[in-house]
Amino acid sequence: MSGAGLDSSARSEHHVLADASVPGDASAHHLEPAFHAIGLQPLPGTSNSGPRRTPRRSLIVVLPENHSVAPERVVEHLTGEGDQDIVDVIVACAGPSSSLAALQRRVRDIQVLLAPAGTSVGDLRELAMRQSPGDIVTLLSGIQPSSSDR
Amino acid sequence: MPRQPYLSVIVPVQKTDVGVKEVLKSICNSAMARDSYELIVVDDQSTEESASLAARYADKVVRLAGTPAGPAYARNRGVEIACGSVVAFVNADVAVNPGTLPAMLATLAKRPEIDAVSASHSETCGPQNFASRYWNLLLRYGEQPHRGRHAHFAAGCAAVRRDVLVSAGSYDEWRFVTAGVETFDLAHRLIGAGHRVVLDTNIKVTHLKRWTVRSVCQEVWRRSTLLARCLGYQQTRATIPSEVVFTLSRALTPAVAVLVTLTLAAAFLPEPPALAAGGIAFSALLLTNLPVHRFYAKAAGLGFAIVAAPMHVFVQLVAGVALCNGWILRDMFGDVVPDVTTQAYSEVGLEMWPPVRRRL
Repeated sequence: MSGAGLDSSARSEHHVLADASVPGDASAHHLEPAFHAIGLQPLPGTSNSGPRRTPRRSLIVVLPENHSVAPERVVEHLTGEGDQDIVDVIVACAGPSSSLAALQRRVRDIQVLLAPAGTSVGDLRELAMRQSPGDIVTLLSGIQPSSSDR
Repeated sequence: MPRQPYLSVIVPVQKTDVGVKEVLKSICNSAMARDSYELIVVDDQSTEESASLAARYADKVVRLAGTPAGPAYARNRGVEIACGSVVAFVNADVAVNPGTLPAMLATLAKRPEIDAVSASHSETCGPQNFASRYWNLLLRYGEQPHRGRHAHFAAGCAAVRRDVLVSAGSYDEWRFVTAGVETFDLAHRLIGAGHRVVLDTNIKVTHLKRWTVRSVCQEVWRRSTLLARCLGYQQTRATIPSEVVFTLSRALTPAVAVLVTLTLAAAFLPEPPALAAGGIAFSALLLTNLPVHRFYAKAAGLGFAIVAAPMHVFVQLVAGVALCNGWILRDMFGDVVPDVTTQAYSEVGLEMWPPVRRRL
């Protein structure tokens, strides 16, 4: 059998799988694990960020005006999420936050969303969620330091 | 006083659900410290809007894209990431009172012999149209005699110890794709494993879904059919007598017996006028349903009870036919199973997200 013949047979198998309905989503993106399972490479255009073996996790830290978060608390949450390298961390701040620099030193690859000062907690959460790619998203709110702490 | 366990509240949400915002708000307004519980929203058939709304209130949001996976599947995904030793499930159309979740938690903390506790329907519901009030009161009527005894693990609002839930296999996402009887099945397994599931009629929740006569009949049809097909009528009735299908069918059986007797008697009599025969038949049904009508009259007034009477008879007939349909389907096709693709993927043991339905 020629190489071309092998190719066409492989392609026909792709089509069979692509036509099958998948629980949860009928798109071909979810079939990538199935392609790997039978030793095939996915068809062009089906191997982007869609299919995953495990859920993508995100951590959103919400910092309204005059709120802060201890970097240790974020690290603790990341540890709880498992491998912290594969968790997307998004910090949504209403205006500049004093705890941001400390957080950036402790946690790598933070995505910062800077909203105007006075933006409400709900709006910050919504804004961050729209930017978050995660399948499982954890939301962590900053706390307002008491007057004695200031 | 025993220390309160940490609580995980799981709310499965679909984009068709109305009043989700009100429900999430009601949970956040619970009379308990915000750091004593976590709110997990499982956004089934997630869209940008639904996820954004969930993010306003939740501590964790699980996004399940694509076609709806169903409440059993969604709740199981929530349980997987829950941190609490007690898990509470609240439906996306059920508003809790400020004291609902603390009361359920207190019951489980004070009484270690109880493993799961369900909240009861309140006397009033969100929408005030006739069908919604009729359905809400019917569910409440079914719950009344079973207070504190074995009762179904209510879909609307219930709490369970996490280790007990996990050891029982959690919800059966393999068989139950639509809402309805997945909670009976879980309660059945919990009770079968020797755990105690109680219904507390003092803990109340308000249902916000707007029902119509059509949607009530559809719900009764689906529940009755699935119950007869998947769970078995007699054994479910023994463990979960508060289910509305039994409320409806319990009175139907003597009514049918009376009707058959009357029909047989009529064969020996001169032909009675059609109107009189119909009147006798209807009276027989009313008579066997007298406790329900009395309950309606007490709760919503005599006028409401009079209007509800013919509706109730009709809903009972739907339940009766649906039960027969379920038995026939069970005999012809057996139990409910997922589509062949899901079965094949499960057989292969494919790892993917969202995960393939899990078989118990």
